[in-house]
Amino acid sequence: MADRAASTPAWQRGKVVSWLVTTDHKRIGILYIWTALVFFVLAGLMALVFRLQLAQANADVLGPDRYNELITIHGTAMVFLVVVPLLAGFANYLLPLMIGARDVAFPRLNALSYWLFFLGGAVLMLSFFADGGAADTGWTAYPPLSTQAPGNGQDLWILSLHILSASTLAGAINFIVTIHNLRTRGMTWMRLPLFVWSIELYAWLLIAILPVLSAGLTLLLLDRGISLGPWDVQTHFFDAAEGGAPVLYQHAFWFFGHPEVYVIILPAFGIISEVLPVFARKPVFGYKAIAASTVAIGFFSMLVWAHHLFTVGLPVSLQAFFMIASMIIAVPTGMKIFNWLATLWRGNLHFDTPMLFALGFLSVFVIGGLSGIYLAAFPIDWQVHDTYFVVAHFHYVLFGGAVFAIFAGLFYWWPKMFGRLLDEKLGKWHFWTLFVGFNLAFFPQHLLGLEGMPRRVYTYSDESWEGYNLASTIGSYVMGLAILFFIVNVWRTSRSGPRIGNDPWQADTLEWYATSPPPPHNFDEVPYVTSARPLYDLRRRLREQRGERTLG
Amino acid sequence: MRRFSALSGLALLAAVLAPSAMADGGGFAPVAPESPNAEGIRDSFLFVSIFVVGIFVLVEGLLIAFIVRYRRQKRSRFADGAQVHGATKLELLWTAFPVVVLALIAAFVFVELPGIKNVPAAGATGQLEIDVTGRQFYWQFEYPNGVVAIDAMAAPAGVPVLLEVTAPDADVVHSWWIPALGGKIDAIPGTVTETWFQAENPGTYTGQCAELCGLEHAQMLASVDVLPQAEFEAWLEGRREAQSAGTGELGKELWEGVCAKCHGLTGEGGIGPRIAGSLALSDPAEVEGLVRNGRGAMPAVGSEWTDEQILALTNYLRENPPSGG
Repeated sequence: MADRAASTPAWQRGKVVSWLVTTDHKRIGILYIWTALVFFVLAGLMALVFRLQLAQANADVLGPDRYNELITIHGTAMVFLVVVPLLAGFANYLLPLMIGARDVAFPRLNALSYWLFFLGGAVLMLSFFADGGAADTGWTAYPPLSTQAPGNGQDLWILSLHILSASTLAGAINFIVTIHNLRTRGMTWMRLPLFVWSIELYAWLLIAILPVLSAGLTLLLLDRGISLGPWDVQTHFFDAAEGGAPVLYQHAFWFFGHPEVYVIILPAFGIISEVLPVFARKPVFGYKAIAASTVAIGFFSMLVWAHHLFTVGLPVSLQAFFMIASMIIAVPTGMKIFNWLATLWRGNLHFDTPMLFALGFLSVFVIGGLSGIYLAAFPIDWQVHDTYFVVAHFHYVLFGGAVFAIFAGLFYWWPKMFGRLLDEKLGKWHFWTLFVGFNLAFFPQHLLGLEGMPRRVYTYSDESWEGYNLASTIGSYVMGLAILFFIVNVWRTSRSGPRIGNDPWQADTLEWYATSPPPPHNFDEVPYVTSARPLYDLRRRLREQRGERTLG
Repeated sequence: MRRFSALSGLALLAAVLAPSAMADGGGFAPVAPESPNAEGIRDSFLFVSIFVVGIFVLVEGLLIAFIVRYRRQKRSRFADGAQVHGATKLELLWTAFPVVVLALIAAFVFVELPGIKNVPAAGATGQLEIDVTGRQFYWQFEYPNGVVAIDAMAAPAGVPVLLEVTAPDADVVHSWWIPALGGKIDAIPGTVTETWFQAENPGTYTGQCAELCGLEHAQMLASVDVLPQAEFEAWLEGRREAQSAGTGELGKELWEGVCAKCHGLTGEGGIGPRIAGSLALSDPAEVEGLVRNGRGAMPAVGSEWTDEQILALTNYLRENPPSGG
């Protein structure tokens, strides 16, 4: 510590500046998390505005232009600026600690990743002030609608995603190199925490798919036309009038877009696989099966993209292939769910807030997984595609799945990051309002879709859709209330939360061996790792030394 | 008390959701089918639902049972649970179980598929082919005899109706969907896709564009009026004559389906400017230039219209100049 402080130039030691120049993975992780939480609130507020428009038939809260901008930026931000960066934040903070390393492999590249993320997020949010407003063609930006979109919003949307892709790609490479090279003594692949396994796959998937998105976006930009000095470039990749193929973009987008769902959900699974055993006082059931299913999901996720294109008129043989590939993913996903259930079996369950969110995750993620079966069966998809049924499905997966897991992770690792426990009472209010609000907001949307309400409509005149829509809007505001509980909790805890020791949950993985919060170099010494639960082993050795009877 | 908060929360949620799942509509299933393909889709949906409900009850049941059974109660907070690391046979079992379920579902889908995908053989009454064009922000239907209709399609009962769906090269992607008459199919510039229906019961079935196509995507409604066959023949013949004469419903349909969605039913303005009282509307040549070429933010909504369509619209505008509301 002392020599490190001495080697830091004076101007870098200030309270604010030290955060701006930091290359410490923990500080970068925390920056990721705070920034993403701010975007989470902004993108959530957008949803509350357009839910108001949808609460009644023929409402007049928003015009079609603003409505389309809000749904586009809500979707784009929730995926690119909220869920993925939150998980990147966890990965940044936890990877080196979990594998007993001092930092990630490339700390300065890591800082670059964060600042590119910050820049990309700023570009997207500020695009509301662009000529013609923000992009308004949905987070999927299908051409020709997106190539014809007037103004600069769509160009800024492309720019933002290019910046974010560079950020995420650099982060992914960093994580892989870290996992492969910086594991402490005894940390073999079969002893890696399951969260680390999930980040390994998260990173490989991103490296495989992001270049395809970037290519698609670049073609989109060229089709919109750019000026390179004296030359105006105007291509026609997606322009049918000039022999282009609009559907080509859809393939490029979903070759990225579907694995992206697994990029999000795999680390969420990883969090659940860390939290459940600790609050059940058991080892995770079937460690190898869970690790293997993570790899299987990662692989198959790249073979299912065209189930988003079942209505473009693909040959039946292709649709059949993509149906079967999509269904195959249900198998490793089902394995995980049963393994988690078995982890609870004969446990000693206590229901602190992280556990509530993990159990809540299990109960709602199942619904998102099951509704996916309907979408995989292509004739059924012809009926429910692009309706609120799909909106309900992916919110059950991405909110019910990923965001519930993220809250489980935040409540679980908060004491490690900040040395203080979040308030349990507010945490429970937070969980229950979010759980009820979430189901109230999104379950009725299945029924809306089945009754024929397409997604992305700024208004509707069918009054029989009003009931479900009103329920959905009320649910979204209950979710807003839940997030308010979280904000109050964070604010109060930061001033008066109880300080707790290094390992308040008596957990199993190495990050709990460090102090809370850990020093810049993480560990003075790292215990030799003899299993997937090094701290459990350590506690047992200590008990044996004290001559106590060992359990189990 | 706290240990039961999980249960009471779930009960509360059930109380909230039960009414919505059982409310007026068809419940958790697609709308009542009126065509064999929609029926095949609904049957597939219901078949999948058997397993979905079964697995849902199994997983949530086990979850609640374990939460209740293995809660801490009086045990010390950090006392170990059973240190079980796995059970290979059990894990193989619950890997194989979904494989069997999914194989059954896939098999059922393939059995139903021909009835959903394939157009039935034309019977004694033949089959009717209609060209469907999706455009910002209306649907245009063209019958074999050249009759054009906008947004509202008329079709004969009991006859297989084959739809050839597309969008003009300069337009965007739309998606044709009438829920009671089958699944959706995209209308893509430069491509022709196909779907079909065969409705036995006369009636009006509604739907709307299902692919975000721009500002007035939500107004891109469609309906299919299924008429008894004789009535349909009369309709088609009547439309043919009126269209040649530049009279009839087409002009009104063009105004309401094409112009009014942006400019308002009385031309009072909407996302497009107010056009009521505009001198241009009384000049057929100017109207033709506008709809064929567009202007500024206005797309060329009539770029591929026939002269009959132009005539129908200009005649309609002459007789019904927009009042401005």
